[in-house]
Amino acid sequence: MGSGHCICSYATLSKASRPQEKSSAGPVFQYVGQNKKPTPKVFVWGFSFTGALGIPSFVVPDSGRKKPRKYQLTPYRLETAEQISSAACGYGFSLIASSTKDASKLWGMGLNKDSQLGFQRTQHSRHQSYDYVLEPSPVALPLVNPLQTRVLQVACGRAHSLVLTDREGVFSMGNNSYGQCGRRIVEDEVYSGSHIIHNIEGFAGRVVQVACGQDHSLFLTETGKVLACGWGADGQTGLGHHNISSSPVEVGGDLSGVEVQQISTYGDCSLAVSRDGQLFGWGNSEYRQLASVTEATQINSPRHLPLKGCGKVVQAACGGTQVAVLNDKGEVFVWGYGILGKGPNLSESSTPEVIPSTLFGRSQFNPSVAVTRIRCGLSHFAAVTDRGELFVWGKNVRGCLGIGKRDDQYFPWRVTVPGQVVDVACGVDHMVAMAKSLL
Amino acid sequence: MATPAVRMFRRLEGLFCVYKPSGVHWKLVRDSIETNLLKVLNATPSQPLPQEVRFLAQPSTETEAPKGLTLSATSVPVLSKHPLVSGPEFQNIQVGVGHRLDAFSSGVLVLGVGNGNKTLNDLYRTRVTRDYTLEGEFGTATDDFTHTGGVVERSTYEHITQDKLERVLAMLEGANQKALLMYSNVDMRSQEAYEMAVQGLLGPEGKSAPILTGLRCIHFQPPNFILEVQCLNETQKYLRKVVHEIGLELRSTAVCKGIRRTRDGLFTLQDALTRHHWTAADITQAIRQYHSSKKHRKRSQSPAKKPALKTSEDVTATQQNEANEEAATRWFFFVLFIWLDHTFLGDAPHIRPILFI
Repeated sequence: MGSGHCICSYATLSKASRPQEKSSAGPVFQYVGQNKKPTPKVFVWGFSFTGALGIPSFVVPDSGRKKPRKYQLTPYRLETAEQISSAACGYGFSLIASSTKDASKLWGMGLNKDSQLGFQRTQHSRHQSYDYVLEPSPVALPLVNPLQTRVLQVACGRAHSLVLTDREGVFSMGNNSYGQCGRRIVEDEVYSGSHIIHNIEGFAGRVVQVACGQDHSLFLTETGKVLACGWGADGQTGLGHHNISSSPVEVGGDLSGVEVQQISTYGDCSLAVSRDGQLFGWGNSEYRQLASVTEATQINSPRHLPLKGCGKVVQAACGGTQVAVLNDKGEVFVWGYGILGKGPNLSESSTPEVIPSTLFGRSQFNPSVAVTRIRCGLSHFAAVTDRGELFVWGKNVRGCLGIGKRDDQYFPWRVTVPGQVVDVACGVDHMVAMAKSLL
Repeated sequence: MATPAVRMFRRLEGLFCVYKPSGVHWKLVRDSIETNLLKVLNATPSQPLPQEVRFLAQPSTETEAPKGLTLSATSVPVLSKHPLVSGPEFQNIQVGVGHRLDAFSSGVLVLGVGNGNKTLNDLYRTRVTRDYTLEGEFGTATDDFTHTGGVVERSTYEHITQDKLERVLAMLEGANQKALLMYSNVDMRSQEAYEMAVQGLLGPEGKSAPILTGLRCIHFQPPNFILEVQCLNETQKYLRKVVHEIGLELRSTAVCKGIRRTRDGLFTLQDALTRHHWTAADITQAIRQYHSSKKHRKRSQSPAKKPALKTSEDVTATQQNEANEEAATRWFFFVLFIWLDHTFLGDAPHIRPILFI
């Protein structure tokens, strides 16, 4: 059997394109120049009635004849004023940020009942704030130098959000009943219509990454230290107790002296990846997320998780009941409870299970396809490969997977996004993807 | 009793592939092969005419008045069996064509003779992929997607780099991989669907839209480029349209200069007979080769019924092997029966065992 690229000796290539009469009268069109850069785009899909998708015509149709669109089951383009570099999805709301130095660099949409999107002045009264923001609306950060600072990253939890800037630290807004915003808890504080956006103090060095759990927050400094604040009943703050912490405190346990390169959390379990590829976890373990080190249902102090056969871990992503890690070879390992991605028969596992790379597009023609980014929503997973394809699997909560149907997906499935996907943010029932056009 | 012609025909039954040149309708190829075979079959030395005993009236030589009819037995040849009376032994033979190639394309064309046509039916029904090499050129768009068509538009192509072409091909491959899953009739919520997806077995059964299971660029020299595709249920016009669409995705235009099929199922360019070899002798040898390779394949496949996914450099995809397995058992029995027929029952063709599965 011959391989495709070798042409037999008796079969020749067709002769060079015969010189056609190039009619000089016909115009030659130029659609694109040589220096065209790919256009950045943002796509959203999922449950739209909270306004989290940022498309008001889904909730309030433009004309009386149209009906509201409750579930957007396939990716829909969101027009943005600037190129979006960072996005985060919370529980019914989203934040998108651009790394520009202009005055508007952060927009929020969705639920705003706890002022997780800041104060959104209504049209009728300047003292009232919108409860639901249907369109991406600018969030006014109290920056000292608004035209010099850039927003690096945003993170959203259940009712609070964190914004990381390059020169002015971390800003938090939203619900603070458990101290998750890193400021002193005020008894009976009314969060709706609140103007408070707090600049969190108490960091020894510069913060390089933030992560929001359901009601707690994690911060990673450039020296590799992890700090936590917020609710701790499941030990998710990792501070050695199950109490609330209202200001960031450094976590110890097995993480003392370890340089962490990435933190991840979304529910009540937290994970940290160290620079030499080790994984540490703390918090809720009711779904066997941390069963490799303990049989208890919670750990309140970081423990090193010995993972067999995973190799060097480069990224970790943590959802509500499930965990996924990515190693340096581009392989994805999953464990926990729920739809893990290996068919309906595997619904829980306490040891890492590898997802076969053929499901991510590896084939004879492409033997080297690798996953470069892995994210977790509350009950689903998303993986971005090096070819710019997005794969999702898990529970399809109100159409959050974006595969065109509302059925759950038991193994990785391609999402048809018009463009190459760069990054994706997963929420409970919606997702935001940042892509760029092919050309 | 089988005549030498019939015995030669038995040796000709089976499948073989030819190289169809471009510019020629596939029917002309089939007709010329049939003519060549008929010429040779009818040129075999015919058997001597059988003799029969007839009672003929002898002409009397003596000059005596004939009182009655005197008949004498003579052995005369049976004139009704003379080839000049009954015609040549073979008026036409069944030569069937596998997946067709249109006039613009060239490449492997599978033909079947006699009983091989039944196997051809099976080939049609199993999910077998085909390999093509597409030659394209940037800068023009025509109405029939080939370089000989009427020019619709011309555009620049200096901005196209191999990297951009790879990105477009990756996007097309992703869409086609998804189409493979969508057209398969398996319930996606079952464990069986997951296992088949891991092994790459998910795919359409029977008719479906054309799907490219593999696509890559093997040569890039603007404005010319060569793609290699592996596809299912395709037509050559669809492949030309794919070249045109690749041009559109790259914000330019492209036409297809040539399509060559390099593999159809298990028949590759190596086994294809060129025009000067469309003779009965070469065809008989090709068919013998096909039968022996079928036996070898069956022998190597039977110990491992479900081979694991192998990353062979061979282009005959494992998924196609798996799909063929189901029909391979059927093919095997047909081949076995043809082989048996030829060696043991050559003299009594009408007592063929019916081993249909």
